[in-house]
Amino acid sequence: MNRLFSPILIGLVLLITAYPFAWMFLSSFKTNREIYQPGKMLPESFDPFAYKLLFSGELFDFTAVLVRSLLLASGQAIFACLVTAATGFALAKGRFWGKSLLFWAALLIILYPKQAMSLALFEWMARLEITGNLYGLILSGVASGLGVIFFTQVFRKVPDELIDLSKVEGQSPFFCFFTLLPLIFPALCTYGILHFFICWQEHLLPLLTLGSDQLTLPLALAKLGDSSYHTPEAVGLAAGVLAMIPLFLLFGYFFRRVRTALADWVVS
Amino acid sequence: MSNKRAGHLWGNSGSFLFLTSPFLLFWAFFWVVPLFTGVDLAMQESQQFSRSLPGTGYTHSPFSNFERAINDPKFIHSLENTSLFVGGSILITLGLSFFLAISVYELNKKFQGICLFLLLIPSFALPGSLATLFYLFFHGKSGALNQFLVIPLGFDPINWMMDPSWILPCLVLQAVWRWTGVITLVLYCGIRAIPHWQFEVARIEGATALTKVRTILFPGTRHLLLFSGIFLLVDGVAAFSGAYNLLGGSGGVLDAGLLFVTYAYQVAFPGGSGRFDLPLASAACVLVAGTTACFAWLLLRVRKRMGN
Repeated sequence: MNRLFSPILIGLVLLITAYPFAWMFLSSFKTNREIYQPGKMLPESFDPFAYKLLFSGELFDFTAVLVRSLLLASGQAIFACLVTAATGFALAKGRFWGKSLLFWAALLIILYPKQAMSLALFEWMARLEITGNLYGLILSGVASGLGVIFFTQVFRKVPDELIDLSKVEGQSPFFCFFTLLPLIFPALCTYGILHFFICWQEHLLPLLTLGSDQLTLPLALAKLGDSSYHTPEAVGLAAGVLAMIPLFLLFGYFFRRVRTALADWVVS
Repeated sequence: MSNKRAGHLWGNSGSFLFLTSPFLLFWAFFWVVPLFTGVDLAMQESQQFSRSLPGTGYTHSPFSNFERAINDPKFIHSLENTSLFVGGSILITLGLSFFLAISVYELNKKFQGICLFLLLIPSFALPGSLATLFYLFFHGKSGALNQFLVIPLGFDPINWMMDPSWILPCLVLQAVWRWTGVITLVLYCGIRAIPHWQFEVARIEGATALTKVRTILFPGTRHLLLFSGIFLLVDGVAAFSGAYNLLGGSGGVLDAGLLFVTYAYQVAFPGGSGRFDLPLASAACVLVAGTTACFAWLLLRVRKRMGN
């Protein structure tokens, strides 16, 4: 492409993507009067009143909200990684009845919009009496179609010689799967982060299944955005900043691995 | 699925079924059963609706709720909005991401990683945060959109969230803003996988930028463009959080921003319109999700044919 066009396009898009978030962070220290002047970047003073108000528990227990969201997202990500990696291994390296059906089942999960199933899932979970707690929510997201497809591609790239070696040593497929896990660690990290990312942002199902005293971050943000609560705008922005931090740190730390695993996956 | 490669591997069905059983169990319990629960709900009689029609001779049939959904103007309106939202966000996101991926690929290698990471920032934010940020930073007479785009072009400032003709474009912009970085990263990985000799040949032959896009970059990434399109399609049909936060759970002025999932939520639960009509909401969900899944599956078939 044109040598001048590329940097201009990137510069412009980076400005649109990054600048508002710098504004959001700085505005979490501003008063409403300052926030309503979006052209103004720096706050008059760096008073962390919004953060103090959030953690004071006056509005709701924000620490509990953060912990709940972390437990939900990390719990679901860990279970989903193990369950879908085992299925991906079986699909990539095994020969058994119903293999194609299993692959199509995973694909169907991806193609069927999850939110459109939330009402029915809520009804089903209510019948099972597993609403109102995190366990039901964690379990409901473990069967991930994306995870199965991802790990199938990952295990296809594992050399068959390793499987042959495992067979010679008399290992069962189950044991072989666990011995191969360290080899696919970058892929496990990548999918774990992606699943954490998806679960962290889940709104509708927690809204339906958790009580009003059991907020997760998306629900807490919606509550803060509700004008009837009359909270300063900075509080909503501060909560938004805090909600970004775990994803920012995870992606920042593992970004190179995520990029490599994603590139391998894309090629396969 | 090719069995050829796996042919010389274990043929021990029992062990592999043991490995796949947790997935099958969760899939059956939290996907298949809810799917049938949804269909069952959609066929049940809505007490709320029946009670509202005393003495009219209304008789319930298993397909009554589907008929009611199709005849509900609000449902049709939400579908029109969702189609425009999905179509707009797919076209803009894919187009922008494609050119951004090429641009990042052409940058000095030292800057590629940092650029991709910065582009991902909006996707780290919760849709609720994006909505708040959109409302406070971009919206309003003194907001960034009016100050840096509309007024410099010589137009009157736009009241983005109160003008019905601009609410949907706002939602599209929000989706584009959120997903462009992620799709750019995927397409960038695809471009890096294109064999380098192809670019060398193009350089030696003095190919123009447009020729390179047409003959190397687009064919090399078209399967990823299709995959990303399907991802955006399914995500767009299921979009809820951004619109819920931006419009407070309503469809906005004249329901101009009423998306399908918000409609289903409003019909099913007290709050929005408070109809508490779970069977109608389920019928609408089954119709839309089923159609979306079939459409996405057809697109995948297209991909397979392209691959062949």
